[in-house]
Amino acid sequence: MKPRLQTSAVAVCTIALCIMTLSLAGFSRAEEQSSECLNCHRQRNMNANEGILSSRLFCFNCHQDPASHGDFRASKVSLQVKPEYFQKSPHKFVACVQCHTDVARSPHRSLSGVQCVTCHRQIYGRPGTHAEHFRVRCESCHTDSPFVTLDLTKNEVKLSHTNSKLVPISLAEHKTTDVTRQEFCTKCHTSNNLVGAPAMVLPSKSFVCVACHYSPLQMGNPLFLVAIGIALIGIVGILNFWFKARVQDEASSVHRKFQLGSEVVWSKIFSKEIFSVVKTIFFDILLQRRILANGVSRWFIHSLIFYSFFARFALSFFTLLLQKLSPEGELTLTLVNKDSSFVAMFNDLTGVFILAGVIWAMVRRYITKPDYVATQDQDTIALVIIGLVTFSGFILEGIRIVIAQIPQQIALSAFGGYLLSRLFSVVNLGWQTIYGYMWYIHALLWAMFIAYLPFGKLKHIFTTPLSLLLNYKRE
Amino acid sequence: MADQTVRQETFWRFSVLQRALHLIVILGFVGIGLTGFSMAFSSVAPARTFVWFLGGADSVRYLHRFFAVVMYLCVVTHVFWLFYYKFILGGDLFGPNSICFRKQDLLYFRDHIGYLLALRNAPPAFDRFTYWEKLDYWAIFIGMQSMSLTGLFLWFPEFFSRFLPGYFINIAQVLHFDEGVLAVLYIFCIHLTVGHWRPEVYPGDWTIFTGKTTKETMMKTHPGEWASLNPSPRGSAIGEK
Repeated sequence: MKPRLQTSAVAVCTIALCIMTLSLAGFSRAEEQSSECLNCHRQRNMNANEGILSSRLFCFNCHQDPASHGDFRASKVSLQVKPEYFQKSPHKFVACVQCHTDVARSPHRSLSGVQCVTCHRQIYGRPGTHAEHFRVRCESCHTDSPFVTLDLTKNEVKLSHTNSKLVPISLAEHKTTDVTRQEFCTKCHTSNNLVGAPAMVLPSKSFVCVACHYSPLQMGNPLFLVAIGIALIGIVGILNFWFKARVQDEASSVHRKFQLGSEVVWSKIFSKEIFSVVKTIFFDILLQRRILANGVSRWFIHSLIFYSFFARFALSFFTLLLQKLSPEGELTLTLVNKDSSFVAMFNDLTGVFILAGVIWAMVRRYITKPDYVATQDQDTIALVIIGLVTFSGFILEGIRIVIAQIPQQIALSAFGGYLLSRLFSVVNLGWQTIYGYMWYIHALLWAMFIAYLPFGKLKHIFTTPLSLLLNYKRE
Repeated sequence: MADQTVRQETFWRFSVLQRALHLIVILGFVGIGLTGFSMAFSSVAPARTFVWFLGGADSVRYLHRFFAVVMYLCVVTHVFWLFYYKFILGGDLFGPNSICFRKQDLLYFRDHIGYLLALRNAPPAFDRFTYWEKLDYWAIFIGMQSMSLTGLFLWFPEFFSRFLPGYFINIAQVLHFDEGVLAVLYIFCIHLTVGHWRPEVYPGDWTIFTGKTTKETMMKTHPGEWASLNPSPRGSAIGEK
């Protein structure tokens, strides 16, 4: 055998072995099944309606009986479940033990409650409605019962087994809520509620909020539609202005200008010049070499704001992606929860950095006023908007910690918000109501940021990297 | 004037948009194929490993749909381009420069087969796109429609079974898988062979990546277009240089 042939044969075998090992590693996770009744009794085939109905009949053996009851705080609560409850239910073909996963055992009692997430796992941390209600158990909203309660020991909102007069009630009817009705939200979101909800039913975040927050890919409030509309007009204006210029001797045809311009970009990407472009991206755009050359304090101010925004955008976008790819992963469930220590700490730290940058910049522009700093109106507008957005965010967080009664050991990670919450808790100004207005102020400020983006100084966020990329050779 | 010299050397066949779309379709196709087959053959160890590597069935399902949306957006872009070509650039959809089939292609096909059977001396004077290039394009274009229809059935089975009988979902499952196999076989056997592994262009036809082609290729493979660009009765452009 020739040595070269031999080498390649060995290489092929090694690769094949690697693939086989990996394939075997992918196999086999031990079957987990420990419900005690099913240790001996035959498990029905839950993949077929017959199995589900037969499994359900087993439960109905007792629970159909009108005498079936539970003892709750020394009073009897009916646990009679009528089959007709499920006649029109979306869970018509779901067995009892598929939701009540830990009841098939002795003593016959559930510790974990109903497990919606085993099936509805995509929903769990989805932004828009669900991630915002992360500590609220599904059934609190989705079961048609007007009584909910805040369990401070577990920091979760759940369905109450008693009514407002603390008389035990039965939840055996299994009635799901019509989510299109207003009562769906106003059950909790009223003034002076006891579960820590804001008094107002607030709209969902918009996709433009992804710059700082984990938010859904939807328009949200019409406010943002207006802001994006204004921004789009500005962007069209800028593009229109740009394409008035000549492109390689072509003065009139926009089609030809596009053709020539895109050709240049294509030929740059697929040539050795891409390395110079990457270098520009790294040094000039990411590390901001040019600002550093202008002065260290300038670079610090700009970096405090730029890197914080950049990091927040990166994290919220990453969370969004992760939620789609692995909705029940441990990392996902940590990142979608804004009270988890990492996210809270991260958000407060970046927020403090942005505020510090804005204040430092303001001190330089309006108090110390070095000769080389020329301040225009648009600088003031940009700084004020960014500063106010961040500051209102901290106020919002402070109010949220107060009204939601988030336990101290959890709230401490959000150190800025926690400090403010201590301040706010001194006086009760009706924070549950104020929260809603504050939310709209925060959203309005961000909408202003978006609308103002193409008109004033803020457009440098896009134009400066672009012009750096286009002029990278003129160093 | 700089443009003029370029025009004598190279000929532009594909715009940046078309090149970019081709690249995106390559990536999308590989992605959709890998995720799709790893779901279809979920009992096979390498498929399981791949699924495990990507983070589980949910993740693979999501990626499969993501790639599907990307690919279909490419189709939509092509349709928009069609309108742009027709109404803004004033192009002729059934002219010699168009990707659409026309009657002439039948004659070209007959003549080309005749040439391959040595019944004719020369291949026909193909225009901008030969009939097999058109077939390549339209096979994928039409395949994308049925693929996405059956794919939508599987994506939103609850919605479609509101007004269609349930067995349509089963049929969609079979068709989606079968056409997936067909598409992969088509791309890797026919498209790559015809497009890139022909002796004339082996190991690859870079025109779709660079957008340009040489004068020699133009004269050889697209003589019809070459003639329309150089309507000189006195001789070819080679003599002028």
